[in-house]
Amino acid sequence: MGARSSFKLEFLKKWALGLKICSSLAKDMSFLERKKAIKLSADVAMASARDGTTCWSRALIANASKQDDKKIIVRTMLGSEFKKITKSSSSGSFKPEKRVRSKKILRRSCAITRIRKTATKRVLACSIAKRLVKKRTQVLKGIVPGGESMDEVSLLEETLDYILSLQAQVDVMRGFANTQVLSNPK
Amino acid sequence: MNSALPEMLQCVQTSENIAGNGTDMTVLERQRGRLKWQQQQLQSQQLQQSYFNENQLNLFSLSQTQHYQDLMNNDSAFRELANQSMKVDPDLENGWPNFTKYPIPRTGFCGEMKGFVSSGLQTDALEMDYSISRTSSCPPAEAVAMAGDEKGIESVLTEKLASTVGRDSFKKRKADKAQNPKVIVAGDVKVKKIKGDAEEVESKITEQNNSSNNRETSADTSKENSKVTEVQKPDYIHVRARRGQATDSHSLAERVRREKISERMKYLQDLVPGCNKITGKAGMLEEIINYVQSLQRQVEFLSMKLATVNPRLEFNIENFFAKELFSACPDSFPSVGMPSEIVNPAYLQFNPAQQVVSCGLDMAVNSSDMGLRRTNSSPVPVPETFLDSSSFTQAQLSTIWETDLQNIYNVEFHQGRSSAFPSQAFTGSMEANNLKMEM
Repeated sequence: MGARSSFKLEFLKKWALGLKICSSLAKDMSFLERKKAIKLSADVAMASARDGTTCWSRALIANASKQDDKKIIVRTMLGSEFKKITKSSSSGSFKPEKRVRSKKILRRSCAITRIRKTATKRVLACSIAKRLVKKRTQVLKGIVPGGESMDEVSLLEETLDYILSLQAQVDVMRGFANTQVLSNPK
Repeated sequence: MNSALPEMLQCVQTSENIAGNGTDMTVLERQRGRLKWQQQQLQSQQLQQSYFNENQLNLFSLSQTQHYQDLMNNDSAFRELANQSMKVDPDLENGWPNFTKYPIPRTGFCGEMKGFVSSGLQTDALEMDYSISRTSSCPPAEAVAMAGDEKGIESVLTEKLASTVGRDSFKKRKADKAQNPKVIVAGDVKVKKIKGDAEEVESKITEQNNSSNNRETSADTSKENSKVTEVQKPDYIHVRARRGQATDSHSLAERVRREKISERMKYLQDLVPGCNKITGKAGMLEEIINYVQSLQRQVEFLSMKLATVNPRLEFNIENFFAKELFSACPDSFPSVGMPSEIVNPAYLQFNPAQQVVSCGLDMAVNSSDMGLRRTNSSPVPVPETFLDSSSFTQAQLSTIWETDLQNIYNVEFHQGRSSAFPSQAFTGSMEANNLKMEM
């Protein structure tokens, strides 16, 4: 309870800071812009509440700071931590994607010929299961920020941490939204 | 004849009624039994869940060594308790039709999401399932969390790794096969090192193989010796090949990796609701993906909702303090309609709060503790004014809230009433009274 509520508290603080920054940067934003600003500040707040200890948080911040308009917000939000976080994130990890893709094609072509030869049910089931698992790990890698550059073990760990943070984020945001709705009845 | 017929009919009807009542009774009894069990479980579960969740977060916010230690602690305990809990509650799986009656702890989000889902989503049903099945999946966690005390790292690691990884290896030790490397855990094993271990294990195991071929006698004494030596080099884990399995360095490393993965999957199984029955990586991954996607979608919706509510991204900071109370409290509240009810008293607090000039953010952030103590006083008289709807639950809530807040913040409510906010709080409650009268 203590660790979770302290995480939520920190998230809330940082999110409030981010929202202030957003509102000060641009007055009279459209609905979509507002929504994006809210979401962005929430995500960055969640990531920075982790203080760069996890891979996904670093990747999230790195992704957010790629676009120029978002970069300013992120920078001001994080302040001094920004440099520390972006330094520790590794950047030489784009090759595995391409490698994986070409391997996939190769494997598929091999597997099809292989399967036709060894048509026992068990082997088929195993290979199907393996393919399913591989497909799904790929999907998961796409979902979890920074998941491309992780092996399976660390991917699962990061997913675990990411899920926990997401749950906390959703809780805080929902409660906050409720209070907002009630305090501004329109 | 004519008179006999209606009599017969009556008899038949009464017998049907009796039979019907009989079946109803059994069904009712079953339902009652289930309800009671569920309630007991739920009451204990909130504590468990919150503790469990805290423990989970602790896994990642503590240092890496403790992280691994806790992982190891929880793992074997999980399995034992999961087995126990399955025996305890065989009936639960049949209880699905009743789940709508049961209060949903901690997340009220099915109720919430239904209000705000605009685009056609199946996440409603998904979330219902998620939040409810979550309740059923959490009981084993509590004892785990309790068991996860701080022991010496080395002892714990040796104990747990030996029990989990090398269960079969005990047989081997007795069988005294000295050819294979032994299960030894060095102290101070860090997670990152372990990841690197997978590569190092190969090389180290080949070394071990060579060295173990030389010493064929008395595996025990040599094991102790190597234990002593290995403690000084904490860089790798020795793995023993199980009986009837390949003793390749490659396959051993594979097995280590697979076991790590299955360990993590087990944690994920406990975290993602509704995954108790799913065995196998593929299904679990599917569930995990769905859950993460649904959480991300929820964040989108909530940010959209906030964007609609505020035309100019102006958020009052005083709201945050009370918001904080909600984020801390709802984790332990059982009732379904809880969010709206808790928010009602706080709403009154907002009205006076909004009139206060919003202080600078730094001040606000630093004075969060102050704010908390202030807000503790005001909600207490307020719930009593809302006697219209669900008075019973309100009273219940306020008592629960009081005790909970007391536990969290260690502030006595009676003392708190005399703090700096009384006038505004009372004006708030006066307004509420007026509103009530008008209604």
